[in-house]
Amino acid sequence: MRAVPGIHPRWRRRELSLLLAAAGGLFLGWVSLASTQAGRLTAGDPTLLIVYLALLFGVHGAFVLAGRRTDQVLLPTVGVLGGLSLLLMARLPQGLASQSFGSLELGLAPLQLLWLGLAVVLLGGLGIAVRNDYWLRYYKYSWAAAGIGLLLLVFFLGEEVNGQRLSLRLGPISGQPSELLKVILVVFLAGYLADNRALIAGSSTRLGPLRLPPLPYLLPMLAMWGLALSIVVVQKDLGAALLFFSVFLAVLYIATSRASLVVLGVLLFLVGAAALYQLFPHVRDRVDIWLDPFAQAQDRGFQIVRALYAFGRGGVLGTGLGAGLPQVGGSLAIPAIHTDFVFAALAEELGMAGALAILALYLVLAQRGLRIAVLAADDFRSLLAAGLTTVIVIQAAIIMAGNLKLVPLTGITLPFISYGGSSLLANAIIVGFLIALSDQGVEPLEAPRPGRRERLAAGARSVSDRIERVVS
Amino acid sequence: MNRSGGAPSIGRAILRLALAVVVAYAGLGAGLAWWQVFEAQRLTDDPGNPLVLAASRSAPRGRILDAAGRVLARSVKADDGTMRREYPAPAAAPVVGYKSLLFGASGIERAYDGALLGLSQLTPADQLLRKFRPDPYDPQDVTLSIDLRLQTRAMRLLGDRHGAVVAIEPATGRVLALASTPTFDPARIADPAGGRAYFEELQKQPDESSPLINRATQGRYTPGSIFKIVTAVAGLGSGAISPETKYEEQPEEERTGFLVQGYRIRDGHHEFTGDTPLALAGAVENSCNIWFARAGLEIGGPTLVEWAARMGFGDSIPFELPTAGSAVSGGGDEPGGFRDRVELASAAFGQGRTFVTPLQMALVAATVANDGTLMKPRLVDAVGTGGGARRIGDEQWRRVLAPDDAGVIKAAMQDAVEGRFGRLFAGGAKVPGVPTAGKSGTAELGGEGEPHSWFIGFAPVDQPRIAVAVLVERAGFGREAAVPLAGDVMEYWLDLER
Repeated sequence: MRAVPGIHPRWRRRELSLLLAAAGGLFLGWVSLASTQAGRLTAGDPTLLIVYLALLFGVHGAFVLAGRRTDQVLLPTVGVLGGLSLLLMARLPQGLASQSFGSLELGLAPLQLLWLGLAVVLLGGLGIAVRNDYWLRYYKYSWAAAGIGLLLLVFFLGEEVNGQRLSLRLGPISGQPSELLKVILVVFLAGYLADNRALIAGSSTRLGPLRLPPLPYLLPMLAMWGLALSIVVVQKDLGAALLFFSVFLAVLYIATSRASLVVLGVLLFLVGAAALYQLFPHVRDRVDIWLDPFAQAQDRGFQIVRALYAFGRGGVLGTGLGAGLPQVGGSLAIPAIHTDFVFAALAEELGMAGALAILALYLVLAQRGLRIAVLAADDFRSLLAAGLTTVIVIQAAIIMAGNLKLVPLTGITLPFISYGGSSLLANAIIVGFLIALSDQGVEPLEAPRPGRRERLAAGARSVSDRIERVVS
Repeated sequence: MNRSGGAPSIGRAILRLALAVVVAYAGLGAGLAWWQVFEAQRLTDDPGNPLVLAASRSAPRGRILDAAGRVLARSVKADDGTMRREYPAPAAAPVVGYKSLLFGASGIERAYDGALLGLSQLTPADQLLRKFRPDPYDPQDVTLSIDLRLQTRAMRLLGDRHGAVVAIEPATGRVLALASTPTFDPARIADPAGGRAYFEELQKQPDESSPLINRATQGRYTPGSIFKIVTAVAGLGSGAISPETKYEEQPEEERTGFLVQGYRIRDGHHEFTGDTPLALAGAVENSCNIWFARAGLEIGGPTLVEWAARMGFGDSIPFELPTAGSAVSGGGDEPGGFRDRVELASAAFGQGRTFVTPLQMALVAATVANDGTLMKPRLVDAVGTGGGARRIGDEQWRRVLAPDDAGVIKAAMQDAVEGRFGRLFAGGAKVPGVPTAGKSGTAELGGEGEPHSWFIGFAPVDQPRIAVAVLVERAGFGREAAVPLAGDVMEYWLDLER
C-alpha cells in the first residue's frame, strides 16, 4: 500500500451534477408521496430522505478527496435506485419489518435507511480503498473454498423460512449468505478463467455436433451445474440457482467466446430443470402457478395474480406515489411486496413510464460495468468487472421477469430496491469493486509485496497458500 | 499485461453479451407493455381484483341507465357514511342484477363492476389529470340498450309464470328487453339489514324455480317447432334443400308415420294439407314434422350442427351476461354428435336432444329478420358520463345466410303468422296493421305435465324493428301462451316507436 503523501482532491463534476439531479427528483418524489398521503401540498417529514442524500453527497465528497479517476455514473445510478427503495419503504406499512436497538424500535423505512447507509458507505469505502487486486486473484481457490464452506454452513445450519433454507443466524443478525456467495463465485470464476481461458477456448473434443474443450476443463461447468442443482434441492432456492448458473455461463462465454459452451450449459439447464420438475413438488408448484396463476387465484397463484392486478392498475403513467393500493382492508395486497414484489409495487405507482425508467437504470449500470470490463488492464479485471456487472443485471432481470409472469417466480431480491441488508451490502460490494476497477491509473499489481496488512493476515494466508498449491 | 496470446478477444464477447442484455431488457419492457397497456383493462375490471372489493365499500358507484336515461340503479350515501345501492326499477333485475357487499354482484353490476366503480383504465392524458385530484375513483355511468317501458311490459306479461322474453333490434343487435321470471328484488339483496335472510331464501330454491338464474340467457329448453327455422337456415344455406323441395311420401306419412331405423315418427297435420306434398313455405306454415324430419336427414347431422353454430349454437354466446351454450345434438357416435338417425330426424323439428336458450332463439329470429346477417347482441350502449361517454358501436357478428335465402324463410314465417293455416297456430302474434312473421313452438317434454310454450318472430316483415323470442314454461301449446305474449310485446314496441 502506498503511503498517502497528502490529499490531492480531484473534482468530479459529472458525478456531482448527476447526484444533484437525482436528489432533486427524489425530493420531488418525497413531496408527491407526502402530499398524496396528507391530501395537501406538503413535504411531510423528509428526515429519512435528507439523511440518505447527505450520505450520498458524503461519499461523493470522499471520492473527490481521494482523488482517484474512477467512474462517475455508478454512484448516482445506485443513488436513484436506493432512493426509490426508500420512497417505497416509507410508503409501505412500517410493521413489515422491525428491529429493536435497546429502547429504539425501528420500522421498515428507518431500517432500510440503515442498510442503505451501510451499503453506500461500504460502496464508497471499497471504491476508495481497493487499489490492489492481488488478494482476489491469487487466492481464487481459497475464495472458492470459503464459498463452498458458506454454502455447507447454510445447508446444515440454515434457518428454514417458508420452506426455503436461505438464512444464517448469528446472534441477533441473520443474513442470506447466497448474496455474498454470488460475489465470491465471480471472483473465483474470473481468477480461474483468466488463467485457463486460452486452453479452454483453444482445444476441443467433439461431442455430436458440439465442439467442446477437453474433459478436464469441463469439470468446473459440471461442478457449477451440480452446485446449482444442490442449491435448488437443499435450499429450495430456485432464484439463486438460476442466477448462479446464468452468471457462470455469461462469464464462461466472455472468457472463451464459445457459443457451444453456452449451448451445452443451456442443455444441462434444461435437463436439470426437467428432472427437478419431475422430482420435486415445490419446483412443480412454481411452474404450474406460472403457467396459469388465475386457475388458483385465491390459493397458490394469489401472489402473482395480485402483482398482475397492480401492474394493470398502474397503466402507462401510474397512480402516483402513495396512491396505489398495496394494502387492502388491513392486509397486504401482495404478500412479500417489500422484497420479491417491489417492482410490481413501483410499477403500480409510477406506471409503465416509471418501470421503464427502472429498467433503464439497470441498463445504465450494465453499460458502465461492461465498459469498465472492456477498458480493464488485464483479463482478470475484465472478467471480474463483467461478471460482477452481470450478477446485478441478471438478478434484476430474473426477479422483474418473475413479477411480470415472463418466467416462474423465484424469491430473489431486486438489487438496491428490495428491502434487506444482505442483498444491499452484497450489491454495494459489487458496485464498490466496479468503481475501484474503473480507475485508469492502475498501480502495478504483479507480485505480492509484504506489507503491514499482509503480515497481519499471515496466519490465514499460510493456510490459504497451502490450499492454492494443493488445488492447482 | 498478461493478455493471453491466442485467446479470443474479451471485448468482442462483452459486446455480444451487452447485446443479449439489451434484448432481454427489451423483453421485460414488452412484458410491461403487455400487462400495463394491453391487458390493463381486463385486469382492472376483474371481479377477483381486491381493489374492486375495497373500492366498493367506500367509493360512490356509477348509475345504470336505460336507453332513454331512466335510472335503473344508483348509489346514495347512507347516514353511516357507507354507500347504499338503490334500484328504482325492479323490472330490470334480470339485466341489471344486484350488487351486495356480502354476496358480490351479478348481471351488469358484475360485468361492468370496474367501470361503475371507476377503476377502469383511463387514457394517459386523463391519467395525468387524475394525479391532481384527491379522489382516486372515477365512477362511470353505464347506459343500456334496454328500454325500461318494454322491459316492464315483458315482465308484467310473464307475471307469475316461469319464462323468458328476449327482444332484439335486428339491424343493430341491441337488446331492447330481456325478461326472466321468477325474479328477485335487487334492492332487498343490497339492503344491509334484511339482505342476508332474503338472499339465503333465494339461494334455497332449487334450480327449476330459482329467481337467481336468468332463464333468458342460462335456461336451456327443448325448442319444439321453433327449431324448424334453424333447420330451414341450414338446408337453404348449405343448398341441401331448395324452396321447392317436396317429399312425395309426406302426405301418406302424415297418417302412417315416417319410419326411421325402425322408429315411427308421427305427425297429425294432414287434416289441413290434404294429399298435396308441401314445399318449404307450406311446411313452415303448417309446422310439418314429417317434412322437417326428412329435410333434416337430407341435410345431415354435421351440416345442421355447423349451420346452427354460425348463429351461436355450441358455445356460450359472447354477451355482457353469462350465457349457457345451446346444443343441437346430445352427444353420440353419429356424425354431428347424434345418437342415431332417429335423433337427427327428431332434432330437425325440435324434439331430439336439442336444448336452446331464449337468447339463442332470439338471435335466430334476428338473423332471418336482418336478411341473414347476425349482429353481435349487446346490452350496453355507452359507458361514461355526458359528452365523455364511450359509445359502443354496432358490430356484425356473422354473415349467416344470403339475403335471398333469408327472404324465403321470412316469407314462410310471415305465412306462419298470417297465412290461412298458420293463423290457426300463431295468428295471435299478429301486430294489427303491421306485417308480422314468426314461428310458434310446443316443446313436448315426455311424461306428464304441460309442454313449454314458444314463439320466435319479428315485425314488420320488411326492415324489422324488433325480433323476439318468448318462452313460457309448462304453459301448453305455443298459441296458448307465448304467441299472444309475443304479439303484445311487438305491438307495444311498435306503438312506442311510432
